[in-house]
Amino acid sequence: MARVGGVRTLAALGCAAAFVCMAACGSEGDGDSNGPKAAAREQKPLPEEPRVETGEAIGTYGGRFIIAETSGPKTFNVLMANETSSTDITGRMFVGLSDFDNESQQDKPGFAKSWDVSPDGLTWTFHLRKGAAFSDGHPMTAADVLFSFQLAYDETLHPSVQDLLVTNGRKWDISTPDDYTFVIKVPSPNAMVIPLSGSVPVLPKHVLEPIFKAGNFASAYNISTPPDQIVTSGPFRLKQYVAGEKAVLEPNPYWFGVDEKHNRLPYLDELVFLEVPDQDAADLKFRAGQIDGLENVKPENYQWYADNQQQGTYRLYELGPALATNFFWFNLNTAQKAENGRKVGDPLIDPVKYSWFSNVTFRRAVSMAVDREAMIPSIFFGEAVKNWSTSTPGSKVWYTPDVVKYDFNIDESKRLLASLGWKDTNGDGILEDTKGQTVSFTMKTNSDNKMRVGMANFIRDDLAKVGIRVTLVPVDFNTLITNIRDDKQYDTLLLGLQSGVPPDPAMGQNVWRSSGRTHYWNISQPKPTTPEEAKIDSLMDTLVTNSDLAVRKQSWKEIQDIVNTQAWVIWLPTINSKLPMSTRFGNAKPSPIPHRLLWNIDRVFVKKH
Amino acid sequence: MKTYILRRFVQIIPLLFGISALTFILLQLAPGDFLNQMGENPAISPATIEAMRRNFGLDRPWYIQYGLYLRNILLHFDFGESFSRHQPVFTVIREGLSNTLMLAVAAAVVTWGLAIPLGIWAAVRQYSWIDKTLSLIAFIWLSIPEILSGLLLLMLAARTGWFPVGGMRSIDYDDLTAIGRVRDLAWHLALPALVVGLVPLASRMRQMRGNLLDVLRLDYVTTARSKGLDEGVVIYKHALRNALNPMITLFGYTLGALVSGSFVAEIIFSWPGLGRLTLDAILTQDQYLVMGSVLMASVVLIIGNLIADLLLAVADPRISYD
Repeated sequence: MARVGGVRTLAALGCAAAFVCMAACGSEGDGDSNGPKAAAREQKPLPEEPRVETGEAIGTYGGRFIIAETSGPKTFNVLMANETSSTDITGRMFVGLSDFDNESQQDKPGFAKSWDVSPDGLTWTFHLRKGAAFSDGHPMTAADVLFSFQLAYDETLHPSVQDLLVTNGRKWDISTPDDYTFVIKVPSPNAMVIPLSGSVPVLPKHVLEPIFKAGNFASAYNISTPPDQIVTSGPFRLKQYVAGEKAVLEPNPYWFGVDEKHNRLPYLDELVFLEVPDQDAADLKFRAGQIDGLENVKPENYQWYADNQQQGTYRLYELGPALATNFFWFNLNTAQKAENGRKVGDPLIDPVKYSWFSNVTFRRAVSMAVDREAMIPSIFFGEAVKNWSTSTPGSKVWYTPDVVKYDFNIDESKRLLASLGWKDTNGDGILEDTKGQTVSFTMKTNSDNKMRVGMANFIRDDLAKVGIRVTLVPVDFNTLITNIRDDKQYDTLLLGLQSGVPPDPAMGQNVWRSSGRTHYWNISQPKPTTPEEAKIDSLMDTLVTNSDLAVRKQSWKEIQDIVNTQAWVIWLPTINSKLPMSTRFGNAKPSPIPHRLLWNIDRVFVKKH
Repeated sequence: MKTYILRRFVQIIPLLFGISALTFILLQLAPGDFLNQMGENPAISPATIEAMRRNFGLDRPWYIQYGLYLRNILLHFDFGESFSRHQPVFTVIREGLSNTLMLAVAAAVVTWGLAIPLGIWAAVRQYSWIDKTLSLIAFIWLSIPEILSGLLLLMLAARTGWFPVGGMRSIDYDDLTAIGRVRDLAWHLALPALVVGLVPLASRMRQMRGNLLDVLRLDYVTTARSKGLDEGVVIYKHALRNALNPMITLFGYTLGALVSGSFVAEIIFSWPGLGRLTLDAILTQDQYLVMGSVLMASVVLIIGNLIADLLLAVADPRISYD
């Protein structure tokens, strides 16, 4: 018996030799990412009313663009998708009534070629493109838009977009007077109707209605649906999906977008989303020319990319400050019902700490103790700017340069703390408050984010210099969310927010309204706790309902000034975003707003040498 | 033997039951649930999250959720649906599992294909510079974490272009001929298999060396030599066969570790396997997908151990399970 076993193992040895040879011999294929030969493009007649997209150059057909994603799509059902790994892809496959231009940061027409609003601001009429069709050639009409809105409003499905399509808790009234007109009636004026109408993807009624009626819409268009059954309304359609490896998109032959010379877009033959879970591996793959663009690069690698772009195979685009923020806040949450021995309105943290945190002088002193400039070189590798709002300097429309700010000023910070009557009575370097309590608190952040932990370390050292002791508590992200939302067990918490598209502050109502769930320092208040928060609520009403941009900007400026005067949020620097993209492509126009590379990918083409 | 195998299979049932219960409880003890992280997205309202929680059945107490889960398995052989993918768990796992097994088998071929001949070589030339160099290299490799060796090999691939920088197939895979596809797969498999396979090489090689040295000291080997047999015949015909015996058992036990051994390499090399899937599921608390992956890995482990025990009986006539 032993003999048999021995022979088998030796046979396996032979296999290993053959395997190594095969591996070494096969050295062609992947290094070449020039894509397939430009196949004859399906020529479908252009729609009567195409959307003309302007670009720097008229492109040529053909080629392939490969982009890396850290995880794969979970579904191709654009309405039910909630994570960026899915929406990055479905966003190229479906279009809404309106679209967003990342370059001008303005709305632009989508399936609706134009729109107008009644003088009272309540009735919005969308004029749809004639002759537009889905990727299977079936005409696209107002009935499809109506069907898509009905899906969006469906109670059982409850897609996340549903909550945006309401005004004061009331659904919009939607109707279709004819095949090419779609009307939205809102109960009260809403400045966000156009961008929000663009967030409802146009879905093919002729394909999805039977599925919806059978109660299977949530699992329609999933990742095992055959690609030819996924009928799309956007510039691309699905060609192939290989689980864990890649999703390949190809042009929708009926797409209504054309260039200035009426060539149908997109130019590319294939858009490939390659799954590369490890960011370092994605960097290496880009360097080896096997990826054409990366949406995210770690700031510690910016320098490498900058140094090596002379070779001319790629360019590192400097996009300016990101639309993402970093900040920390003090826990000012109070009990909303009497339980655990607390009365309504009692602080949920140690009352001594609450008495410090609720003092605006203390909060300003903390803000002035934080040396933001010192953080930039070491944590952000020099690639960050100071920031004082959710509308960062990257926001073309909403950035307000002259908001109130309490920047680093250690002497003033010390003076403010002394004005509270706090001094170091026992000589240990840490202040005691007027009741003799040592001024010490914890700061939580998520442990998997190196930058946040780094910033928290700086803050600890900075606050130690003015006599405040901070203990860092990095925790798992899920625990952090439980702390914020449910048990509210933390003193201070460091986190960040990423702006949505469009980067309109009206999209941030959750953060700034006192009733908001993301009004971090005191969430979901039944009614405003402070007069300042009541003022913000009323300013927010103006911001959301008024359609005059100047008035809206004024309201936003006042909101930012109140927040910063109160120092509820201690702002930290915002990173500069940069991304590398191969120079083989024309019309490349990366933007700091998500989808940085992909937003105009339908105009991107492979340059001829 | 048959009753033994049957008995072992019957034992699997309570074992899997225990594993599933433990996994479920641990998942419940972790803070939050699948919908928790969605709560941080300002675009998603609490009403949406509550509606989804009801749809997923996450609003019910954990013991009822677990009871329903078991009932669906027993009655319909239904292992639940992945929350994030809206797909049956087994559809999701199937492909990942086969890719992981492919990598694991290739890695085992690397380990054993190198460990046995090198172990023999080292034993035959005991204490020579070859023996010492082999040990040194093997132990250096053992002490480099997979994440580092993986990235170093990826850098090599990126610099030289000899190997692809991660992935399982070329972009043009579908246009290749059948032979081209096999070559393409092997070419992509080479580096991850090397990284996973070289880690246990040091210990396997030392074991092979030790086994052979033990056998070479036995009387029958001395007898063979004193009969004037050629040294090659003594080593390869007489000594090696007995020295390989313990290695067979060891090989059986490594079968069990196949599925869990390559998680790190899968992530670095963008290999679409079960490890990446499981990690993703754990991070997002996609609970039935985690359950499915854990049960699948457990089944492979249990079967691997069973095969190891059976191989032992087959290889060594002194062992009997009857």
